[in-house]
Amino acid sequence: MHSIFSRINNGSAFLSSCMMALLAAIALSSFLFTANAEGDLSISSIKVVSSNARRYPNKKQDLAFINFNITADLSPLFHWNTKQLFLYLEAEYVNKQGVKNEVVIWDRIIRRKEDAFVKFVGKNKYMFRDISSSFKGVPPANYSLKYNIMPYVGVLQYGEAARTTKEVAFPEPQSRL
Amino acid sequence: MSSFLQEITEGKIDYSGQALVDLISKVTLSAAGIAAFCAGFALQDLRITFGIIGLAVVTLTLLVVPPWPIFRRHPVKWLPAAKAKAE
Repeated sequence: MHSIFSRINNGSAFLSSCMMALLAAIALSSFLFTANAEGDLSISSIKVVSSNARRYPNKKQDLAFINFNITADLSPLFHWNTKQLFLYLEAEYVNKQGVKNEVVIWDRIIRRKEDAFVKFVGKNKYMFRDISSSFKGVPPANYSLKYNIMPYVGVLQYGEAARTTKEVAFPEPQSRL
Repeated sequence: MSSFLQEITEGKIDYSGQALVDLISKVTLSAAGIAAFCAGFALQDLRITFGIIGLAVVTLTLLVVPPWPIFRRHPVKWLPAAKAKAE
């Protein structure tokens, strides 16, 4: 500590220790906020269309088109360490081979608390299809609205805001929408 | 002139000044960290937290880095030079 350089050196070394402790405390503090988001999700209609697969003109591919309504109040999830929320709608079904699938069919990024009341009526944003290229014989699916809380400092937290109360069956494929 | 420049750039302080600087910087940084966490948590705003830390760092730099006279009040007293041994 005798010269200017050594004072700067010592001070910044202790500052970095303090900073690490502070960041750890901020990261841990987000576990104190255990508020849950309340929401409602309903599937208004579902259609399965047999269409041509991309790139393979002679192959048929079933695409599911899902219309849904979402109302969810995610504002309790915003606290001092919340940077943004990632909200997504997931289709959960077991396919014919018995493999459990979770497919994200819609998502939204919520950056501000003012936008955290989500009211959305619409259809899936991302193509929903099964790897076996057909939904025939696939048991009814569950749909759930899930979110990730992205913090400024710390770990990503997962949660579920809403879920369909009844399973939704896949209808027979139709040739056009 | 060169010794004056060296004095300015080196900024030497005495031993008790060094102890004082050490104490001031540790207390200030710890207190600022705790205060910043509490204020930010209470007001639910991370900008307040890092604003307090930044202010504390700037003040501490001004307070501690230059060789202020308060850190040079106890210069080392050297013993008088011993007489050269008799030839």
